[in-house]
Amino acid sequence: MSAMTAAIRRRRHLDVTPYLLVAPAVALIILIYAYPIVRVFIDSFLSPTAARGTSVGLANYGFVIDDPVFWKSAGNNVFLLFGVPIMTVVALVVAVILFDQIRGWRLYRTLVFTPYILAVPVIAVTFTYLYGYNGVVNEVLRAVGLDGLAQDWLGSPKLVMPSILSVIIYRELGFGVMLFLARMASIREELYEAAMIDGAGWWARLRYITVPQLRTVISFFVVIELITMLSWVFAYVYSMTGGGPAFASSVLELYIWKYAFAYRAIGIASAVAVLLLVATSVLIVVQMLVRGDESDTGEE
Amino acid sequence: MRRLVSPSALFKQVLMLSLAVAAIYPVYYMIETSLKTRQAWMTDQFGLPLPPTLENYAALLQDGRIPIWFMNSVIVTTASVVAATVVSTLAAYAIARLQFRGRTLLLRVLVALMVIPPAVLILPLFLGLQPLGLTNTYQGVVLIYTGMLVPFSVYMLSSFFKTLPAEIFEAARIDGASTLRILWSIVVPLSGPGFVTLIVVNAMWVWNELLIALVFLQDDKLRTLMAGLTTLRGRFAVNEPLVMAGMFLGALPILLLFLFGQRYFVRGLVAGAVK
Amino acid sequence: MYRSLARLGGLAVVSSLIVVACGGSTPTTAPTAAATPAAATAAAPSAAAPSAAAPTPASTEPVSLEFWYWAESDAPGANQWMTDTVAAYKAVKPNVTINVVPQGTDTLISAFQTAAASKSGPDIASQWATGPVLSFVWSDSVAPISDLVPAAEMSHWLNTNENTYNGKVWAMPQYLLGIGLAYNTELFAKAGVTPPTGDRWTWDEFIAASAKLKAAGITPFVGGDKNGYLGAWWFANIGGQQLNSVQELAQAVVGTVPFTDPKYTGWYTNLDNYVKAGYVNNDVMSLDLDQGVRLFGQGKGAMTFTSDGMLATAIKDLGAAKVGVMRPPKLGTGTLADAGNATQSISHFVTSWSAHPQDAADFLQFMHTPDRLTAWYKATGVVAADDRFDATLVTAPQLQTMAKAETTGPQVWLENWIPPQIDGDADLPAGQMIFSGSGTPADAGQLWERSAATWRSAHPDELANWQQLVK
Repeated sequence: MSAMTAAIRRRRHLDVTPYLLVAPAVALIILIYAYPIVRVFIDSFLSPTAARGTSVGLANYGFVIDDPVFWKSAGNNVFLLFGVPIMTVVALVVAVILFDQIRGWRLYRTLVFTPYILAVPVIAVTFTYLYGYNGVVNEVLRAVGLDGLAQDWLGSPKLVMPSILSVIIYRELGFGVMLFLARMASIREELYEAAMIDGAGWWARLRYITVPQLRTVISFFVVIELITMLSWVFAYVYSMTGGGPAFASSVLELYIWKYAFAYRAIGIASAVAVLLLVATSVLIVVQMLVRGDESDTGEE
Repeated sequence: MRRLVSPSALFKQVLMLSLAVAAIYPVYYMIETSLKTRQAWMTDQFGLPLPPTLENYAALLQDGRIPIWFMNSVIVTTASVVAATVVSTLAAYAIARLQFRGRTLLLRVLVALMVIPPAVLILPLFLGLQPLGLTNTYQGVVLIYTGMLVPFSVYMLSSFFKTLPAEIFEAARIDGASTLRILWSIVVPLSGPGFVTLIVVNAMWVWNELLIALVFLQDDKLRTLMAGLTTLRGRFAVNEPLVMAGMFLGALPILLLFLFGQRYFVRGLVAGAVK
Repeated sequence: MYRSLARLGGLAVVSSLIVVACGGSTPTTAPTAAATPAAATAAAPSAAAPSAAAPTPASTEPVSLEFWYWAESDAPGANQWMTDTVAAYKAVKPNVTINVVPQGTDTLISAFQTAAASKSGPDIASQWATGPVLSFVWSDSVAPISDLVPAAEMSHWLNTNENTYNGKVWAMPQYLLGIGLAYNTELFAKAGVTPPTGDRWTWDEFIAASAKLKAAGITPFVGGDKNGYLGAWWFANIGGQQLNSVQELAQAVVGTVPFTDPKYTGWYTNLDNYVKAGYVNNDVMSLDLDQGVRLFGQGKGAMTFTSDGMLATAIKDLGAAKVGVMRPPKLGTGTLADAGNATQSISHFVTSWSAHPQDAADFLQFMHTPDRLTAWYKATGVVAADDRFDATLVTAPQLQTMAKAETTGPQVWLENWIPPQIDGDADLPAGQMIFSGSGTPADAGQLWERSAATWRSAHPDELANWQQLVK
């Protein structure tokens, strides 16, 4: 196309090219996100059985709100959220230590990162054996005389969620460490040099240079992990306990999956899906507020 | 660098050493257990396998399921990632560099969609795809994965495309290049690192995904590696070493890739966030 | 430099993978039956099988069948037997290839439920009798076996009543087993406990023996309830002993009487007391059912519930001299307290969407040929559910005791007679509550009632079928 025709075309009405370019993506979004979300809203008001059709108003929501297992599941997801500060702080500490390039830091970095590249079922099943009542963890505790601390980590209703959280942290930690290390590597040397000339010590450098420079990455990590705790822990729970004992480790994803596919109670599963959606929407808002004060979301 | 061993340096070493050991022990345990016989494991979970045996691996490889699952994962991952990359590149380019109505809205919507849990979508997707005969097929699963990769991919790529210098585009336009030509000859070649990042992140996500794979691929012959691995523990409840061998076989390919290509893994997973 | 290398490398990898993918993509998925609506409409399930009475001869072109098989947990050795059976069948019917996929206990029902929802997956499947099988019959996932197998052949099968509905038999039994209370004679002697003179203890005698064992430093009862099935076994063997019939149980299922009534869930108090007295191994929640029974075989506990197959394994592990078996203790006063607990446990059926139902049924019948029946017993020590089975093969006295209990008088496996949803939602977790101490017996009772109420409101169609079933 010659420069003239191109220019003429541009001066005319709407250039259709951008719309063509985004069309496939938009089509996929409608198919995979829009349709299911609308469907889930509608279904949540319909009869709970596999036979859709009759509206039951808020009955499904009523059932869900009355179900202690639902609250247990939701509560477990909330519990997991509290693990995010822990893993963030630990990852930060580790990253800072490694950044000083103590001897062997490269090896440590690789080892700490390895769990993150292993698949969740692999880690989960291994830990199931390690956390068994007569598994390695307890054996070690008993061997050093700490018998009292040896518990049934996954079989005790009170300990099962913290135990699962420990496995999640075990894996996600590597991701955080890598993230922070990478960002630290691009902090300009001059900042540190200037600070040291001014006599700033290790702690001061950390507090006034490192952490502020990492703010973006820290918030990114925190948001990712918060979302993970709500929406991406199915694999851990499914592989380690299946939601047991007696629903003590059930999470919302598992609850939906069970009611949708094991019990074919479409209305109920949809109602829970809607509630989960609402909960993550809160996180969307948080994310947008946080990302609002950095590089744009499209406004130029 | 000074060679004096200060107390703080010692403390750091001890801390890192313990952490590293804790991080790697489960892998060690997995391998160690997989080399034991059933009886050996029952008597001693902790110690070394003496003598070590490869019977578990032999049994699993003879069974032949793990390689099939592996191939399924490869197929599904590759197809989804390729499709998502293509679709997202087109859309990201339009969002990043072209003006059109709804651009901001679209990007905002995509960003919002990134956090939607798959658990919310599986049931309606299943009920929707089933009458179309797309459940229990590669096509159905790839369609779903591709769709789920799009929001993040578009977001990432559009951020990346925005960083390309405007002068290049102006120069190309003055030369009369069409939009597509610009995309193909200029933007894509310049975006190598961005694509590598995206592909690594997306591939890892699809590879590790479990819920959708469980629901939409029922045939044992179609199962992905993740879904298949979760069945091992139930099947061989009283043969823990066999299960561990299966787990290790499942983890091995990625582990090897990682050991040899660590640099790209790290760069990929990290670069996207550090923009 | 690295960047461009990485790019090239990545491109090469990706393109080669695409080539591979395009080459071998479309698999032979089982053709989905013409879109049957997911709705399970009211009573009579449609017979999806082909011609009714006279079974048409199986085809001679290459046929591929997938069989989701479960039996190993009940009867260790079953998977090997199945491998041998498939090989033997190949010799007889070379054009038929059978892919056996052993199923895990925890996911047996849910895996098939997902397959049933998409009406695709295996040609032959295994599900536990009555409740589970019928729930799939009612969702149009099962082809009635009585339409595919001649009546003369079926007349040899035992316990077909467990899968009979609407005048058809829907699934084939493979074996018969019951649950016994196995005990370690050596550990008994050590604690000064004598086995019962009759075939079982009373509950009080059971408690007294457990106390003696505990005092001697022996774990009285070992088991594993991590996946919930130990609790289910307690329900099936101890829990129903206040009832007089399965109809009485059905009254709670359909909602006429609440599950919180003591005759249904009062026994949890007995179990709770038993657990709190410290008579159960302290890692019970850490082990699956099979792993728990394994403890018995290692001599780490004096008693456990075993199926015939598990008992055979225990005899192998401990030696015949050390193993005894009795019927589960008598706690209740209902008619069911005296009934046996034998069941076919697992049943095999042809799926409604199978493209080769006749070939599938043919293989199922092959599993019942005398040679296979004998091989089955030799492999597993579990009695086959077929009157052609050679009973003289049962030589171990303990297994003879079990076999006798299983074939004398009425037999009811109570767990079969509740919908699988209530089983998974109440039976299993309630037991876990008690074993882990996370709930009281009252909590257990309420869990049953709530689960039943949920099932009733979510599946009014199944409710109607259930009411018809237990008339």
